[in-house]
Amino acid sequence: MDGITKTFGEKVAVRNMNLAVPEGALYGFIGPNGAGKTTTIRMIMSILFPDAGRLSVLGKASAVESKDRIGYLPEERGVYKKMKVGAFLKLMGKLKGASGPELDGKVKGWLERVDLGDCYKKRCDELSKGMQQKVQFIAAVLHEPDLLIFDEPFSGLDPVNMRLLRDLFLEQHRAGRTVIFSTHVMHQAEQLCDHLVMINKGDKVLDASIDEIRDQYDPRTILFSPVDPAGANAVASLPGVEAVEPSEGGFEVSLLNGTQPAELMQQILQQTPVSKIELRRPTLEDVFIDIVTRDAAHEADEASLRAALRAGAAEGAPA
Amino acid sequence: MITKVAAIAWREFSSTVLTKAFLIGAFLIPMLAALAIPLIVKFTNEAKAPELTGRVAIVDRSGAVLPGVERRLSKEGIATIIAETSSMVQQQLAAQLGEEAEKWREQLDNPMVAAAIAQGFGPTPVLTVEGQPDDADIDALRERLKPMAGESTDALVGLAVIAPDAVQRAPDAEAFGGYELFIRAKTDDRHIDLIRRGLRDAVLEARYAVAGVDAREVEALTSVAAPRTKEITDKGDAREATTAFNMMLPFVFMILLIMSVMVGGQYLLTTTIEEKSSRVVEVLLSAVSPMQLMTGKILGQMGVGVVMLAVYAGVGVATLVAFAKADLISPEKLIYLGVYFVLAYFIFASFMAAIGSAVNELREAQSLQTPVMLTVMLPYFFWLPITRDPNSTLSFVLSMVPPMSPFAMVVRIASTEPPPFWQIALSMAITAAFALGCIWFAAKVFRVGLLMFGKPPNFKTLVRWVRMA
Repeated sequence: MDGITKTFGEKVAVRNMNLAVPEGALYGFIGPNGAGKTTTIRMIMSILFPDAGRLSVLGKASAVESKDRIGYLPEERGVYKKMKVGAFLKLMGKLKGASGPELDGKVKGWLERVDLGDCYKKRCDELSKGMQQKVQFIAAVLHEPDLLIFDEPFSGLDPVNMRLLRDLFLEQHRAGRTVIFSTHVMHQAEQLCDHLVMINKGDKVLDASIDEIRDQYDPRTILFSPVDPAGANAVASLPGVEAVEPSEGGFEVSLLNGTQPAELMQQILQQTPVSKIELRRPTLEDVFIDIVTRDAAHEADEASLRAALRAGAAEGAPA
Repeated sequence: MITKVAAIAWREFSSTVLTKAFLIGAFLIPMLAALAIPLIVKFTNEAKAPELTGRVAIVDRSGAVLPGVERRLSKEGIATIIAETSSMVQQQLAAQLGEEAEKWREQLDNPMVAAAIAQGFGPTPVLTVEGQPDDADIDALRERLKPMAGESTDALVGLAVIAPDAVQRAPDAEAFGGYELFIRAKTDDRHIDLIRRGLRDAVLEARYAVAGVDAREVEALTSVAAPRTKEITDKGDAREATTAFNMMLPFVFMILLIMSVMVGGQYLLTTTIEEKSSRVVEVLLSAVSPMQLMTGKILGQMGVGVVMLAVYAGVGVATLVAFAKADLISPEKLIYLGVYFVLAYFIFASFMAAIGSAVNELREAQSLQTPVMLTVMLPYFFWLPITRDPNSTLSFVLSMVPPMSPFAMVVRIASTEPPPFWQIALSMAITAAFALGCIWFAAKVFRVGLLMFGKPPNFKTLVRWVRMA
């Protein structure tokens, strides 16, 4: 994707998006509802067309020419209610260019794998929503595509099926297929992906691997509970400490830039005995909220923040 | 590419045609109706009039009618009336069938037919005519007519008051007087007809007697035989003028066309809305382009229309063959019908696909659909003028201007004065160009509309989408 922009009337859904997903990667698109994830995915799928910018999918100018090599589970997913499950899957297979006598066997095999073996002859509207979702997952992977795109694949699933789907998901990834999925549930992305793209209000605000994000959003906070509360004063005077504030069950120490958290922790231990001391690891959610709120609160900082993020992303982003 | 379009077309076709609802709605119900109509007609015709026994009071103020009434409403008199009525029905049938009557003459003259018609009158009523004096108390007689006055065989069922000048004109008057008739409520209309007929004949007979003319002579003088009108066409052959068949064929052609076009189009609208509302559309769009999807759907539903057209046209042709009227319809007319079906269908289906893609549910489609439906309904109004004069300026213009042209031209082609070939070719060319335009418009709207949810659009929005796409 190169400078992709899409507007609907007055609203800019996706603004000047640059993005490259390497082959075989497992990418997660995260962002709140209405951020532009689905629009981005629809443009990748050539269901929508960008107003500006260029985009290439699997080496072709658009997904139109490579639709058969892409598996897609849309967010707005449905089935033909009156159609038999087996017939529906075979139709989807045919529409995706898979044909021949083995198609039927494949459909049955997949249905067995997701515990829907007895549903081949059932009508689609006899299935629960979660079961339909599994059927749609099969429709996306049936033709063995090279690129898989899942839009909010886990929404509405119970934990058992969520795990089942996640395993199938990772299996596709291990088979060397490129997988992109979107979610607004951050911890799912954190568990699954090796690379994250964060979108907010149509802007890409982050594009980095999980490790890079951890490095970049290095913990600048140490939590500790001194045995003697007076010890906190001593800590405040240590070099490299910006502030010490009481927090739940202890104190929060914010670090000045350039301070090594590990060293500081040693120094704190030397100053005062503690019952507990830890580095606060930021969750993805923290990172996201951090970025978003900073975005909103300090318009002036927006440009520099984004520049910083882009620089960080560019370093880590594969060519 | 082609296999994808074919897969969609097949799904569209099979999910529509291979359903019980379609088989019942499209074939079973019309078939049952076709079977039921003759049955109902037969049933109503054969429902026998109930038995009737009673008295008819006559206040004969003219003083010359009563004997005639007595004779005509006697058992023999009634039998004569029934026989005369039967033969009149037979003659009317013969006139309506035109040339066919020659072939059927034997069957029509069959005494069995006469007997069957006579049977419709049920058991011969037994009536006793009761002469009343001129100054009889009419109110008292009317009181006796009331149904509660008892169901005995002696009860009064009718009362006729014959005017004094019914037989002899009053001085200076131009017209004769008549009679007043009172009938007991709920008397079968066939019986009323019998009594009226008896009274009328009796009055006429009395008048003839006074005028000194022979009744048979009058009948002979007043009837002119004008069996059938023959038309001389430009080829010089005498042909029977517009009979029912000749008028009906264009109508049947038009109805066939409208029906087959509408059925496919309606299903197209519903399935498109269903795909949109069930959200299956985005799954489909990940596999095929909007254009492929629309093409497949339109072709699939065209198959539905073709099935309808083939079945009904087949039945129609079979009927014509059965009536030995097959020469009215030539293979080329059927081919033209087929071509115009395709053109009309594409125009109609394009709009239906566009509308279906633009709205969220069937209810919202209504307002957009109305103008399209009206266009299809218009031919109904123009059928008669076109059939009457298939080569008038109105007929010519209507058959050239889409979207009316397929319907108007089909009516002209099926008429007894088919248009020259160049007109058919020109009309087809214009209509085909228009159809292509419609498909182009629909493709644009379809592409944008499929993923648009929310406020139902109007035609202005659709045009904006076309510019956008």
